[in-house]
Formats: sequence, structure tokens, C-alpha cells
Amino acid sequence: MSAEPPTLHSRRTLNLTFNLPITKTHEFWDGLKEGKFFTTRCKDCGQLSFPPQADCPNCTGSDVEWVDMGTEAELVTFTYVVVTPTSFVENDPYIVAIGRLSNGLKILAWVEGSEVEKLKPGVKLKLEARKTSGGSPYYVFVVAA
Amino acid sequence: MRKVAIVGIGHSKFGRRTDVDIAELAFESIKGAMQDAKVEKKQIESITLGSAGGWYEESLPAVVVNEYAGFHNVPTMRVEAACASGSAAVRNAYLTVASGESEIAMAVGLEKMTEVDTLTSVELMGRAGSYLWEFENYGMTFPAYYALYAVAHMNRFGTTQEDLARIAVKAHHYGAMNPLAQFQKEITVEKAMGSQMVSWPLKLYDACPITDGSATVILASEDTARKLTDTPIWIKGMGVSSDSANLSKRDDYVGLGATVDAARKAYAASKLTPQDFDVATCHDCFTIAELMAYEDLGFCAKGDGAKMVRNGETEIGGRIPVNVDGGLKAKGHPVGATGVSMMVEVSKQLRGEAGSRQVPLKKGNGLVHNVGGTGHYCYVTVLSRSG
Repeated sequence: MSAEPPTLHSRRTLNLTFNLPITKTHEFWDGLKEGKFFTTRCKDCGQLSFPPQADCPNCTGSDVEWVDMGTEAELVTFTYVVVTPTSFVENDPYIVAIGRLSNGLKILAWVEGSEVEKLKPGVKLKLEARKTSGGSPYYVFVVAA
Repeated sequence: MRKVAIVGIGHSKFGRRTDVDIAELAFESIKGAMQDAKVEKKQIESITLGSAGGWYEESLPAVVVNEYAGFHNVPTMRVEAACASGSAAVRNAYLTVASGESEIAMAVGLEKMTEVDTLTSVELMGRAGSYLWEFENYGMTFPAYYALYAVAHMNRFGTTQEDLARIAVKAHHYGAMNPLAQFQKEITVEKAMGSQMVSWPLKLYDACPITDGSATVILASEDTARKLTDTPIWIKGMGVSSDSANLSKRDDYVGLGATVDAARKAYAASKLTPQDFDVATCHDCFTIAELMAYEDLGFCAKGDGAKMVRNGETEIGGRIPVNVDGGLKAKGHPVGATGVSMMVEVSKQLRGEAGSRQVPLKKGNGLVHNVGGTGHYCYVTVLSRSG
């Protein structure tokens, strides 16, 4: 194709950041700061949920309790993200996995300290809490020893 | 509910269309569809625009497009179902005609994705799931979501990267025969296998491109359709379904539950089976997505998708030709336009107007499979020459 057609470069820019409400699920993030993993269970029907949620998606009840969901998991599937989104361009490529906890819940997180060649479905994983340099809590999988 | 037919089809050139703005791009297919249907503006009683948006400057694309095309005081809306927004627009137009509210309705699919840079597009698609639990800390991308399915499918059924490459080769083969396609050149298995890794095991040639484009269909009631055209293409049934926002909530990763459910509903509505189709468009945003669609739509048993590829069963002359317009992979994937583009292609095929890409017509039925996100939404539409 020949030269690019003419365009006007917009003068107005838009940087969007969001304030994400966690009033009803702060127990998860508070626990994570202490290295613990809590999620919600419906007191009426017993439904376990992850991500945690204040209202039960099974019976629509709103009386939920916080339970420890443990850290042991088994790898279900994974990928290695080489082309990253624009807000992750400072990151090295990363491995993302979905792991199944012993209670049946599944979680998506990075797998730290491993390589694609060493991973396959069935590999034992462990959840660990992390903090960003700015102090925000998050969590990763590591391959279980 | 009344019978509804497609009576007009229009399609822009797909590709990097920096020569047009969103309204000019939409107009290309709107004008084409109106000329094809031989209808005037005043006959169109409803306009639905399918567009996911976010990558172009306008917040209210429906009214911007309508103003440019000269439509006033017309019932209108923009609908979103991610990459199935086009099918969602057709569904709304279909319902307005089927219900008796409109005699003639128009569905426009539109996306303009190249007004932002490539990695911003990657970001916007990566946020198409559950933001806090998948993107905020983990930077998921659209290829990454489908790679999770590819790894599981390969592990369970022995599907190989070469099987996936063959789907890309097929797409480019037919794209080379489609003058409206973004990529009109053949590729080889070796070229696909050697392309840049995007999200393991999916490579550049496993992925659809970022595309600008529009497509339009005009729908009419039975009485009106028979007056307008000798070749109405009937909408025999639409099956629609959905699945969880978080991929971690899915039961399994070897197929899309929303496709299985939407297909079941579409087959029930049309009283047809997976064996009754001469042609299909399957949502191949990634090669693995097309392979899983063969299985989830019932063209073969779960796990046998790779066999269909190896045996050439989805090529012209095979049991069920799939994506002989080049598919999302080679024709391009302007998100909101794709579902409507699929309707245009299958209508062309069923009219017998697809030229060098024409499939043999035996049963006169075609299937449109359009997925939104990573199986978040699914629309399966059955089209037919017979009413």
C-alpha cells in the first residue's frame, strides 16, 4: 500500500482509572495482606463462591460467611503471555494458570518462578500472597515443593 | 411470530481503513444493502447497530451513523455482545419484524479498531472478562484466554499446533479468493508454525487480525420479502446463550458451553440437525476456536475436531465447508461487524452468488456461529433458502 491516508490526531486524551468498591468483600483483601485466603459461603444453601460475593448466585440469599479456602491447588490449564497489553508493557512475559483448589473452587493467577516446559495439567500448585511495590495485595501460584 | 427473511446484504472492504471514519465506513455497507434490497430510506422502520466500541472516538455510534446516512426519527439503538454484537443487532432487527412491529428493519455491524494503537486494542480486548480478577493483576489478553482452552484441548485430545496451523492455512486460502478480505494471500503450515509466539501455544497466525469494517443486512416480513426479491434467505431459527464472566468459573476448557447451548436451541427452532447444512461460518477468532466449534456445534464428536481438519472435511468439497470467506482469520475481525458479515457470506452462498468460493448447494441451509468474548456470549443462526 502507498502512503497512509491523512488523519487528524485528536488533541484530547483520556486516562481512565477506576475506584473499585470492595466494601462487601474487603475481608478477602484484608486476609490477603496477612497471607490468608478467605472466600464466601452462603449460610442458607452452602454455596462456595470464588471470587467472593456478598449475595449468593445459587439461592439469591444475602447471608454469607467467610471461610478459609486453603492454598493447595492443581493446575487445570495455563498459558504464557508474550504479547502483553499496553498497561503491562513494563512487565516481562508472564505465565497465567487456572488452578483447582481442594474444595473445588478454581482461581486464575500468575505462576511465579516456573517455566512453560515444566508445567502441564495436574501439576501441584500453591497459592501465595504478594504485595506490589505500592503495597497493593495480590496473589500468585508457585509450583508446590 | 412471523417469518423473517434477509432481503438485502452489504459489506465494506475489511482491513486497516484509515481512509474513512466510522460513519463513512458504516455507510459503505448500508448503501450496498439498500441497493441490494432495492429499498428506500423511508421504508426502513428500525435500525440496530452492533458495535462493541471503545477504540473509536464516538460514544454514541448509532446516532452518528444514522445522521450521516440521513435517517431521522427512526427507532434505533446500539447493542453490545462483544464479538457477537453483530448477531445481537440482527437478533433485535429480527424480533422487531417477527413481532409485527416493523415490515422492514436494518441491522448494521460496525467496528473501527485501528484509531488506537495495537497494544491499546490488546488491552481493551484483555479487559473483556472480569476486570478485577483477570486483568487488574494478571494482564490477561484475548489470545491468552483462548490459549487456556488450547492447552487443555491439546492435553486432553492430542490436538497439535500443526492441526491449528492447518486451520489458518485454510482461512488464508479462501481469503485469497475474497476481494473484501483483509489478507488475500496464501500461507503455508511452515509459515504459520514459525510465526511469533503471542500467548503460548498460540502464535501470530493462530490469531485474527485487528480490523476495521462494516456489514449490513436488511430484514423483511414474509409478505414484504416475497415482493422485494426472488431469493429471500429465511432466518429459520436463532439460538442464543451465555456463560460466566470469569473463566475460572467454567466447568471445563475443551469447548464453549455457550456454543453447545445456543446450537441446541437453534437446531430445535429450525428443526434441523448438524448434518443438514451446506455451509457454515464458525467463529475463528483463533484457530483453536474454530476447531472447538466443529465439536460444540455437533459437526463431529468432542475431541474429533483435529480429524476433520486433517481430512479436509471443512473445505469446499468436504462434508461441511467452514469459513470459505477467509473467516475472522483472513477476512478480518472488526468485532461488531463480524456477526453481520457472517450473515452476508452465508446469504451469498445460499443465493448461489459466491463465485469461485461457491459451495455446492444440496440442502439449502447454512449456519452462522458467532461467539462474543471467550464464549461469554454465543449466537447460532440458521439460514435457509426455503421458508
